[in-house]
Amino acid sequence: MSYTLREHTADIAVEATAPELGGLFGAIAEGLAAAMCESVPTSGGDRFEIECRAESVEALLYEYLDQLIYERDVRLVLPVDNEATVQDPETPGGEWRVTASARGVPLAEVTAREIKAVTYSEMVVEQRDDEWYGYVVFDV
Amino acid sequence: MTTTREFQDITLERVREHVWEIPKSGEMRVPARVLASEELLEQIGDDKTLQQLKNATQLPGMQKYALCMPDGHQGYGFPVGGVGAIDAEEGCISPGAVGFDINCGVRMIRTNLTYEDLQGNEEELVETLFENVPSGLGGGGVVETDVKTVEEILERGLDWAIEEGYATEADRLHCEDEGRRPNADADAVSEKAKNRGKNQVGSLGSGNHFLEVQRVTDIYKEDVAEAFGLEADQIVVLIHCGSRGLGHQVCSDYVRKIEQRHGDLLAELPDKDLAAAPAGSELAAEYYGAMGAAINFAWVNRQLITHQTRKVFERVFGRDWQDMEMELLYDVAHNIAKKEPHDVDGETRELYVHRKGATRAFPAGREEVPRAYRDVGQPVIIPGSMGAGSYVLRGGAESMQETFGSTAHGAGRTMSRTQAKQDYWGETVQDELQEQNQIYVKAQSGATIAEEAPGVYKDVDEVVRVSEELGIGDAVARTFPVCNIKG
Repeated sequence: MSYTLREHTADIAVEATAPELGGLFGAIAEGLAAAMCESVPTSGGDRFEIECRAESVEALLYEYLDQLIYERDVRLVLPVDNEATVQDPETPGGEWRVTASARGVPLAEVTAREIKAVTYSEMVVEQRDDEWYGYVVFDV
Repeated sequence: MTTTREFQDITLERVREHVWEIPKSGEMRVPARVLASEELLEQIGDDKTLQQLKNATQLPGMQKYALCMPDGHQGYGFPVGGVGAIDAEEGCISPGAVGFDINCGVRMIRTNLTYEDLQGNEEELVETLFENVPSGLGGGGVVETDVKTVEEILERGLDWAIEEGYATEADRLHCEDEGRRPNADADAVSEKAKNRGKNQVGSLGSGNHFLEVQRVTDIYKEDVAEAFGLEADQIVVLIHCGSRGLGHQVCSDYVRKIEQRHGDLLAELPDKDLAAAPAGSELAAEYYGAMGAAINFAWVNRQLITHQTRKVFERVFGRDWQDMEMELLYDVAHNIAKKEPHDVDGETRELYVHRKGATRAFPAGREEVPRAYRDVGQPVIIPGSMGAGSYVLRGGAESMQETFGSTAHGAGRTMSRTQAKQDYWGETVQDELQEQNQIYVKAQSGATIAEEAPGVYKDVDEVVRVSEELGIGDAVARTFPVCNIKG
């Protein structure tokens, strides 16, 4: 999996690819961390888990990234080393689910800037050939 | 004379000087208008601003035209610098057309100090402000609170701050809406939002938010400046921030709720971030109440920073803040939607006026303007970059007719953050500002300074010139930075 920070006039975008959908979610979350902090410590902090459900894959990605931003503000940690597994709906029209974890580096130990929120603007989550592709704009 | 301009397949027709129109076509419900000089239009047309503005015209109930102010630039869904006045009975209300940072805004505090009084104290002042005004990510707030206290702030705004000793009656009287939205509903704000807000009451955040000590360099309208209490060489303080994580969460929550409950309307719109609740729906009322509560939170946020600033000045200058006459000039939002009566085709109608990166600019005579300024017009504060200075305007006589009582909110970005970090080095920008312009800057991160370097912004002088020539906001005074802190 890989991600790249992309230009946006006022905000910032993350473009990512991964072989699996869960990997794509994790890669975008890593891009989110990189947008907040240029130099992430390779160790330190405890892992925590989250789970989100939504009615579509785009909504699930939105919920997942929104939850990470929430955890950042209430745990006062920078979520890094993100791992995620996405489950398709069991029935047509059913819920998508992501179970994920991250290492929470205490904000007191890093120099980080705030990303305010995830947006739907220009959001892409789709399968391209043999990999998953994602593009997300974050409000700075 | 150029009569049409084209940017990325969007054609604009020149209506008159500084007024460009995208004519109604296809799914557009009304035309769109861009208020810009040719120079500013070049920059506005350089990204997706015009497409976003065109998309915004598809919101149901949009009146006359969707507007882009002279400092407009690409946002998400609705452009920054956008004004959309939407029928409050038959239209809709859109969280994305307000923005995530509900009641992001600015306030200016006067002092009776002169630049000469301050010279020699700049380093101590910038350091002490930086130590005492929480900024950046995870920096906490002026007060640590709990959910119950957050709910009181959400319901009562500045009245809470007065009761707790952080504000005065004069502060309340010089704040937009006297610092308390009448429809604020704390119950419409999620626990998630309240949890994010409880550790951030009285904090700048990061990004383009800042606290700046400035000196007044130019007075353009003596009589209005006198009414605003401004004179040449005076020291003032400008605070720019919003409702922090609480407001961001309110917007995120309601975008999702609208997506789930009003998918039919969303399906008709070209961008999910234009998600809107139909006027009259339960969710429209809920969002309006939640947004009002977040607006109150932002006013308290800026008030607590004001309180800290007064204490810092007392420490640095060894005088009471009252003795230094550190009074609030005005506090005004630039990310907000409010029900306002406006004249449309000769009829007064109640509209949800969405201002996202746009400032209310009511002229003299409007009852919404604080009594102290009602004869001269509402103060409008337009922050520029940390190297270019800022402006104080007053609402222009043409603003009600032209822009639903609105004008610009700043200089407006013209360069991306990623590009800025390639072109600028934070420490170099910091050193140059100090050595060449005697501006003392302190930030949590050098990257923030690079991202906010003066060169990434449009020419604020040009933004104000256009505003003035259109009659939507008249320049009263100009200020120049002395000390700047940011997250």
